[in-house]
Amino acid sequence: MRRVIHKIFWIWQLEKEQAWVNEMASHGYSLEHAGRFTFVFEETEPDKYIYKELFLKGWGESTENIKYFKFLEEMGIKVVCYINYPGTCWVYVRALKEDYPGGIELYSDIDSKIQYQKTMAFYMIFVSVITFLAASLNLSVVISALAAEGRFMWLNSLCAGFMYGLFVASVIATVKAFVNMSKLKKERTIHE
Amino acid sequence: MPQLALTEAVFYILLSLQKPLHGYGIIQNVETLSNGRVKLAAGTLYGALNSLVEKGWIDALPENPESRKKEYVITKSGMNVLKEELARLSELVDNGKRLLGGN
Repeated sequence: MRRVIHKIFWIWQLEKEQAWVNEMASHGYSLEHAGRFTFVFEETEPDKYIYKELFLKGWGESTENIKYFKFLEEMGIKVVCYINYPGTCWVYVRALKEDYPGGIELYSDIDSKIQYQKTMAFYMIFVSVITFLAASLNLSVVISALAAEGRFMWLNSLCAGFMYGLFVASVIATVKAFVNMSKLKKERTIHE
Repeated sequence: MPQLALTEAVFYILLSLQKPLHGYGIIQNVETLSNGRVKLAAGTLYGALNSLVEKGWIDALPENPESRKKEYVITKSGMNVLKEELARLSELVDNGKRLLGGN
């Protein structure tokens, strides 16, 4: 039986989202597809799959990523779905829980973990800049219309508010990535 | 110029590729060699394999149409790197044993 759930997770809530999807799987609802706010589950036996959400450079259908997905499949890790964003994609992969009882871990050394956080940090900086510009542009339209004609531009203020929200979210995500990175780098000075 | 130390993952990957192996075969081989201590994760292995091919230390073999799994094997320059690393590691072990008196 299918079950569709609409739920919002913000960009910095990656771990929370992943934990929720895994909890659903442990209750016998296995993720089959995810959209931006929609999750489609299929009823299976409980604990059949374990899920992981990845952040990758480039779109899901890029040659590089297709090669990577094929490689992961050889390891029993299958791509469930991906959502493309400018220059990047968020990917859901799953494996049989009996093959990966401790969860899917894609990086086993500090260097590749640092690399992952770096990619994330740079992307989040990019998103912060874009959303800040978009928000400020809308705000300036609202202010100038108000000053010149005394007209209040609802749509632009809504846009500005939304974009400032996204801006704050991406700044939080950027900071998080940098904190993770500096912890890993500290560790890297004594351990491989 | 003396070569920089290899990572544990790269050392074990090169060691495993004395004979052609595909990705999953490498993971299993490294786990066996290290008595279960080193468990390579898929993403780390993928990155390492690509860098090693780029450096010319390993070769990607033409795809086997039956299994559709890509196999890799060490090259001559990869063998040289591996031997140099072994000498470096021996030095560490020898000095460690000598100064700590353990044998």
